[in-house]
Amino acid sequence: MASSSSSSSARGELEKMGIDQLKALKEQADLEVNLLQDSLNNIRTANARLESAAGALNDLSLRPQGKKMLVPLTASLYVPGTLDEADKVLVDIGTGYFIEKTMEDGKDYCQRKINLLKSNYEQLFEVLAKKKSVADEAGMVLQSKVRQLQAATTS
Amino acid sequence: MISPKSRKNHQLRKKYTIQLGENELVLKELDLLEDDANVYKLIGPVLVKQDLAEANANVRKRIEYISAELKRIDATLQDNEGQQNSKREAMMKLQQRLQSIQAGKAKA
Repeated sequence: MASSSSSSSARGELEKMGIDQLKALKEQADLEVNLLQDSLNNIRTANARLESAAGALNDLSLRPQGKKMLVPLTASLYVPGTLDEADKVLVDIGTGYFIEKTMEDGKDYCQRKINLLKSNYEQLFEVLAKKKSVADEAGMVLQSKVRQLQAATTS
Repeated sequence: MISPKSRKNHQLRKKYTIQLGENELVLKELDLLEDDANVYKLIGPVLVKQDLAEANANVRKRIEYISAELKRIDATLQDNEGQQNSKREAMMKLQQRLQSIQAGKAKA
């Protein structure tokens, strides 16, 4: 009940505007929707990277010390090596700082970041949904007004 | 009506806001560490061991600097907006005067 009355009052506002204003508003809203969509995609990508990092950590923690492995020196050059200590990991926390953490803390860090990104994603999604509905409403009112104008000029 | 100057200011403001967020995240992580934990900073291609206290101080200083810059830019943006508004008002007044003069001429 509350949402329909608020959307109808927004509709009233939109109806009062001229066609040019409506067009500008719809373009503005569409731009914002695109920006928000891009941000959402960025968050999803970052989340995927964090999840794969957490998976790699889990995998690493299962390996015993001294296990033979191949170490990448460049994108196409690997050299044989042995796994030293799987208990300490270096975590990139941003702005060029790295901290040494235990495997447990490293996994915890990944989990914390994943949770943070998830909540950001949800908040942003809500904002996007609202902007999208504004853009759609503006588009519909614009179309009906244009049709009215055409009907008036042809008759 | 966004002038190129204010667009640059907006972009700068965005950059500073992002940097501020990143630095605050770093500070939070550093605070979670034990006092004897190892901290490294990436300087070019080299990872250099840093003192935790020093890293904390550096990040805090950066946060202070960025916050001050943000405040400065916000003040500039507000200033510009105020100037734009007053110019717009003056323009509208001139337009109204022009319209009334033209109407007066048409009648006479």
